[in-house]
Amino acid sequence: MMETLLIYAVIPLIKIAVVVLAVLLAVAYLTWLERKLLGRIQVRLGPMRVGWHGLLQPIAVGLKFVIKEDIIPARADRLVFSLAPMVSFIPALVVFSVIPFGPPDMLSGLLRWVLPLFLDPASVNRVIESGVTTGGYVANVNIAILLVFSVSSVGILGIILGGWASNSKYPLLGALRSSAQMVSYEVSLGFTILSVLLVAQTLSLVDIVQKQQAAGVWYVFVQPVAFVLFFICGLAETNRLPFDLPEAESELVGGYHTEYSGFRFAIYFLAEYAGMITISSIAVTLFWGGWLRPFPNVAWLGFLDLVPSVVWFMAKVFVFLYIFIWVRGTLPRFRFDQLMQYGWKIFLPLAIANLVVTAAVMLKFS
Amino acid sequence: MIGFLRRILLIDIFKGLALTLRYTYSKVYTEQYPREKVKLAERYRGAPRLNNDPETGETLCISCDLCAEACPEDLIVVSSVRDPESRKKVLTEYTFDTSRCLFCGLCQEVCPTNAIELTQDFELATYDRKSMLWNRARLEKGWDRIEGHKVYHK
Repeated sequence: MMETLLIYAVIPLIKIAVVVLAVLLAVAYLTWLERKLLGRIQVRLGPMRVGWHGLLQPIAVGLKFVIKEDIIPARADRLVFSLAPMVSFIPALVVFSVIPFGPPDMLSGLLRWVLPLFLDPASVNRVIESGVTTGGYVANVNIAILLVFSVSSVGILGIILGGWASNSKYPLLGALRSSAQMVSYEVSLGFTILSVLLVAQTLSLVDIVQKQQAAGVWYVFVQPVAFVLFFICGLAETNRLPFDLPEAESELVGGYHTEYSGFRFAIYFLAEYAGMITISSIAVTLFWGGWLRPFPNVAWLGFLDLVPSVVWFMAKVFVFLYIFIWVRGTLPRFRFDQLMQYGWKIFLPLAIANLVVTAAVMLKFS
Repeated sequence: MIGFLRRILLIDIFKGLALTLRYTYSKVYTEQYPREKVKLAERYRGAPRLNNDPETGETLCISCDLCAEACPEDLIVVSSVRDPESRKKVLTEYTFDTSRCLFCGLCQEVCPTNAIELTQDFELATYDRKSMLWNRARLEKGWDRIEGHKVYHK
């Protein structure tokens, strides 16, 4: 009884708490990193006043959001208006339940050290060998990648609902743009992922990483076109520049969240940045070997294993987030017709062609 | 063909990225003004000061009135009395209206004894107009040493 509770309730709950806290903290400091980097790109300093080099700035900003007045426009749909940020934010968090931060035996050392404090050795072994508890992830679902994309599509619904419920022109335009953009880019995104799935022949993110280890090569070298397309469509999916048309401060005054203030705006903000981390994590998992160190099967590089696998994972994600911000500081926003043209006339045919070629090659050699 | 390759390989985008990367790690020009002292040019003209002789502590001003003559805004008023014994003019009061001053520096240019000088202090804001009219005592002390004046940078 005690073991079952531990395996299926206590340990997963602790993992969930750790992941949620880590993601929220990462989101907070991602905003700091973004402001710092954008500042440096523009030869400014970025936040410097709150804490050492502005390190406490995210906390100050969060506090400001919480104590600000929460305004709901008079003719807005109150229920949907207050629901929409949640619809945007919760899926962004849910996605992290299936993202593997480390190998399936990541926590066995820690559990072996902690569990004997309240369990006898036999049940410690049973808990550890149950196969559910030791993984560096909350859940190893065999349809993880499907789950990620279905759930994150729900998040986009939050943007559309928010824009619609505001009963205001700019948010509505932002929502319209967002739905058009998501429809066009999610198709290409799906096709690039399909070509990775063809190579890996599994839908589980953990298995995809392990397949990469077995193959001795990260899938970015097997599927370079798919990776480039995935990255560009990922920028579009997360509303990041140069695809941030749903927000478009200069034309739409913030787009779908124009009418939002205070805490609800903060939740939209969190959702967007969590989405960035999600897309980066998936890109790392699918294409850059997830938690694996560089050259996972080269023995003489074994000293790289001294760095924990979580750290490798986080370092790779960090590189992606850096590139996200770097791209934002470099490129201007696309026009809407350009966005549609790239989406339907370039990315989609390329993704389909890539998928067909992959399928043909896989058929020939398997 | 080459143009097509440039577009396919995103050459221009990578050029742009290289440029922003170079700027990311280049020198920052921001001056953290209230926290750090601003670097002023040597010839910067700020708050006026009426200099005393460093040895005797007597004023260097000989009440020649040249500064008042030179001032395009007529904001300097030099008052003096003639000492009956030495036949020299003795300065009694010197007013300088900083609210009208355009910091042209003609007064210090024309001064034969370097008595009036525009220093590098620039935090001249006050809470009322009256205190923009500086009298002799204030001018001799120098702006940064006047009581109640908050120096923002250390």
